[in-house]
Amino acid sequence: MFATIPEAEKPRLTVAASSQSLSAEDHKNTEDTGMARRWTRWMHKQGLRHRVVSLVILFAALVKWCIGLGSYSGQGTPPMFGDYEAQRHWMELTIHLPIREWYTYDLKYWGLDYPPLTAYISWLCGIIGAWVDPSWFALDHSRGIETPASKIYMRATVLACDTLIYVPAIVFFVQSWQGNRSSKTQQVALLTLLLQPGLLLIDFGHFQYNTVMLGLTLTSVSCFAAGHDLLGAVAFVMSLGFKQMALYYAPAIGSYLLAKCLSLGARQGAQLFFQLAATTVATFALLFLPWLPPFAPLSAMLEPIGRIFPFQRGLFEDKVANFWCASNVVLKWRIWMNAPALIKLSAGLTAAGFLPAVVVMLYCGYRLGVASQTAQDLKEIPKPTSRPAPVLPLLPYALLTSSMSFFLFSFQVHEKTILVPLLPLTLLLSGASNNSFSFKLGALVNNVAVFSMWHLLKRDGLALQYLALLILWNRIIGHNPLRIRQKSLMDYLSITVYGICILLHVLETIVPPPSHLPDIYPVLNVLLSTPVFGITWLWSIKRTVEVSWGLGGLGSSSKAISMPPLPGADGLLPNGNPVKLTTPEGVTSSLGLSVGERAAGLRTRSLGHVQGKKSSLRSGSVSTEFD
Amino acid sequence: MQRRRSVSSASSPTKRTTFSEEPTRAEPASDAGDDKKHGGLLARLDVAGWLKDVTKAEWDILLVSTCLKLLLFPAYRSTDFEVHRNWLAITHSLPMSRWYYDATSEWTLDYPPFFAYFEKLLSIPASFVDPKIVELTNLNYDSWSVIAYQRATVIATELVLALALQRFIRGAVDPSIQRIISASLFLHPGFLIVDHIHFQYNGFMFGILLWSILMARNGNKLASGFLFAVLLNFKHIYMYLAPAYFVYLLRAFCLSPSGELLPGRFLSLANAVILVFLASLGPFLLMGQLPQLLSRLFPFTRGLNHAYWAPNVWALVTAADRVLLKVAQIFNIQGLQINDAGVTSTSRGLVGDTVFAVIPNVKPIHTFIITIAFQMIYLVKLWRAPTYKSFVAALTLCGYTSFMFGWHVHEKAILLVLVPLSLLAAENNALFRTFTIASVSGVFSLFPLLFTPAETFVKIAYSLGWAVLTIEPLSKRMYEFPTSLPWVILDGLERLYIAGFALLQLFVTLFPIFARSRVSASVSHNVTACVDGEHCAPGVQNSVEPSALEFLPLMLTSVYCAVGLVWAFVRLSVIYLRQF
Repeated sequence: MFATIPEAEKPRLTVAASSQSLSAEDHKNTEDTGMARRWTRWMHKQGLRHRVVSLVILFAALVKWCIGLGSYSGQGTPPMFGDYEAQRHWMELTIHLPIREWYTYDLKYWGLDYPPLTAYISWLCGIIGAWVDPSWFALDHSRGIETPASKIYMRATVLACDTLIYVPAIVFFVQSWQGNRSSKTQQVALLTLLLQPGLLLIDFGHFQYNTVMLGLTLTSVSCFAAGHDLLGAVAFVMSLGFKQMALYYAPAIGSYLLAKCLSLGARQGAQLFFQLAATTVATFALLFLPWLPPFAPLSAMLEPIGRIFPFQRGLFEDKVANFWCASNVVLKWRIWMNAPALIKLSAGLTAAGFLPAVVVMLYCGYRLGVASQTAQDLKEIPKPTSRPAPVLPLLPYALLTSSMSFFLFSFQVHEKTILVPLLPLTLLLSGASNNSFSFKLGALVNNVAVFSMWHLLKRDGLALQYLALLILWNRIIGHNPLRIRQKSLMDYLSITVYGICILLHVLETIVPPPSHLPDIYPVLNVLLSTPVFGITWLWSIKRTVEVSWGLGGLGSSSKAISMPPLPGADGLLPNGNPVKLTTPEGVTSSLGLSVGERAAGLRTRSLGHVQGKKSSLRSGSVSTEFD
Repeated sequence: MQRRRSVSSASSPTKRTTFSEEPTRAEPASDAGDDKKHGGLLARLDVAGWLKDVTKAEWDILLVSTCLKLLLFPAYRSTDFEVHRNWLAITHSLPMSRWYYDATSEWTLDYPPFFAYFEKLLSIPASFVDPKIVELTNLNYDSWSVIAYQRATVIATELVLALALQRFIRGAVDPSIQRIISASLFLHPGFLIVDHIHFQYNGFMFGILLWSILMARNGNKLASGFLFAVLLNFKHIYMYLAPAYFVYLLRAFCLSPSGELLPGRFLSLANAVILVFLASLGPFLLMGQLPQLLSRLFPFTRGLNHAYWAPNVWALVTAADRVLLKVAQIFNIQGLQINDAGVTSTSRGLVGDTVFAVIPNVKPIHTFIITIAFQMIYLVKLWRAPTYKSFVAALTLCGYTSFMFGWHVHEKAILLVLVPLSLLAAENNALFRTFTIASVSGVFSLFPLLFTPAETFVKIAYSLGWAVLTIEPLSKRMYEFPTSLPWVILDGLERLYIAGFALLQLFVTLFPIFARSRVSASVSHNVTACVDGEHCAPGVQNSVEPSALEFLPLMLTSVYCAVGLVWAFVRLSVIYLRQF
């Protein structure tokens, strides 16, 4: 389905590019590969490559549904229940009440506090559900309903949303970002992304609709890679309009689009800028239409806005593995400062946290724009706006930096919110080879993120699912937490972290917490998880700088790269193969973008290739640790 | 696509593929030393060496399937779950002399003694996990501890199956094919549905059966007979297969090829079997409880068809009777004698004694005679050609005959056919087609066991994935395009039949939704409550008055599956008699 290279041609190409890890991936010794790769290889060998994607989606759906057989948040805990009841309640109130009352009805009992798209989707689910059985969503009378049939319906809505939005988004992402990788690698990436344990446990176990928000963001990122900026902007606004957590990505997305405008030069850039601005505003207006004139007085907008951004709540809730909660062990922020000051401080720290990504992205976009401008002016060819900006490879790192900084430093963060930074990290992991730093860090952080949600999951009665999903995913991606592959810092770090995780689990089961420290285990969990997330944030900033340097957006040497476009630079090469990347300069990747950039920049275009480059150096017996 | 594949396979020898081929493991079956190495009944307890012998792909399958089974812990479970919990309690808290007498719960112990010993063994850790599990009067206990414990024992004991199947790969003629078959058996939807959701220990017991068959393949027939005797004392349903074992062991082990009795061998086999039965029944024999034990094991009080008709010949006959009755009623045919009891039987629909309205009634003795008569045909053939392949085919056919014609057959018994048949799946195209039809209809016929909506998606998605992963790779190797016109038509009909299952499932899913709007809500929903297990309370069965509409999907499933299974039975019989 995604195959760009006929199988038969690979051996030949491999010879041509023996130093390249990309093409060597099929022939590498199988020691370090995961089950996903072994299985896809077997499928290809059996002549079943056309079945892989559908089987992967089917298997993922099966796993998701099986998680859903378990309990959900707040099951059997009246009077308030949990997130499950909140979502069900929104379906109930949206189908029975006029739109203007959605954000005002009985706020004490799970008042709607997500943006309008959630409300609209709730309405749709509610309408269909009420058609099947009206008692599931009877106004007020259905509160706390826990019949098996209603549970199945609610679980089915999550699976349906996931299948309609998140799964296609991932398939689209793999095609658009890894289109120049082998079909096996793409299929492995698909498995890695579809079975990401944290997301599955929260959405299909705990009960939420994060896949919709993440899927829409992912769609927008893939749209950018395919050059459809306006579509991407619409998708991102919809993501924001579904769940405000998408705001964590906003600095990265915004700076990418701005960088693209900058790189296009004054006239075209301004044109694109105004188009984007108009699209964004129009999409927002459409989403909030019922609360805008002429349907409502302007002040009505305050109802949803006030509900969506609840600054009246505290700095953090429960035990979340972020800076505030972790430092709270020693530094009693809430005693030292009042709430407004804390809000300002957290906003400042968050901004400082994502600023490096934004600045690098904008500067890099500007530099690349200026650099290629001279070449363009010579030829007087207008730049096509339908191609992604040259800073595209920075986008995943920028998304990671910005969302991680929000998670670590912003106000009112939940432990579940770690899913937001996990998405870009898992995207990076999905394209990386098993020996690379990205892979190891991605696997570690994914596991630690699930660990950081342990107390939440345990409360939901999902301990077994927690264990099963961790084993399943690590086996599939080929990550053995308890084995040291190379004697590198990263391996020692991860085995130490895993060791402590296991120790904490064991201690928790055999030693009850002392009476004066009832929260000792959640706090220890936070103290272990926060540094790991912090390291990820720092690594992400470091990678942003490195990749931008690789792109030529930083430093003076970038002026030397200008090359006239080569023939065949438009779109795919005949066999669109990744090996072409090894030619020194200027040939296109299958994304079809490459007006005169140097090979380093090109390589980084393919997500995993940044890592691939490193591991190939390593396999060439260069054992120096790069990262 | 076709061209590409052929080119790639030409270049593939340079590749190492762990999933399907591991050159170091590909040991030819002709290796005589191999039999001794792997074939010994008491394989050396070399755990480290054995663990090293497990390939990565095998670990993958084990781990992934185990994770999936863990996720199924909270899934629906039938009354069989409580049956087994009650047996844990009986064996743990009562002296052996009371085991087969106790009637505290309606789910009395009705498996042979080895299974009771097995439950006794399992009850020891259970009492540490949660003492309430083994309390005799703690009926219908369903806390998380007992669910997790019992489900976990199913997963753990299934390792016997995994081990036997893994041994099958070592020393197979074509390990790459045997690998597919072994994986497909370990991951069989039948086991997932019946063991891990519905709740039973079939994986464990079929593990013993396969181990016994493996011993026969490896030339260790004494061990094979011994293991089968053990198996019989775990669950007596395997008696369906006993005739094939008896003939095979007698002909191929106790007699020389020229037909002379080898007394040494005969005595050793007889001793082994007698010893096994003594170990099992001995204690009860000494206590003089044998009649009581046997009356528990063989309750001859059940009807021809089970609640949900097992998809066999009787399902077709019953359906034909229903149709004939309708025809007779509509056209008012005078010549037909209509049995009034049969008319009420049809309106009752599904439970209790099936009484035919038009067709003459069937008595247990009739089913018995037909079964024996058919089995004799295969056994004569087996006697003449006592090879391993012939043995497996005859074994399958013995189970198949019992399933087709037996009295009160349960749909779960189809596993007795599907498991040995899988071993023959890759012999040739004809057998592969038979396997495909029997597997698809057999697995589908198990679907009504799980009638709860939550598990519907699980059983369909899992079975679909399994079918693609099993049938397609084998089909690539086996499939031959039919050469003559009749075969082309037959081939097309078979494909059409298999495609029909999609429509059938659609109907079964949608029918209740539309039926509900037509039938008032007063109709009892208990119908399905009894479709789930052989341990249905008789009282419940008789009190239910289901509507004919609700029974329609079940009847249709049963009849449609029966068509495929009967056809596969005919195919297999013909293939066996002509080709082996």
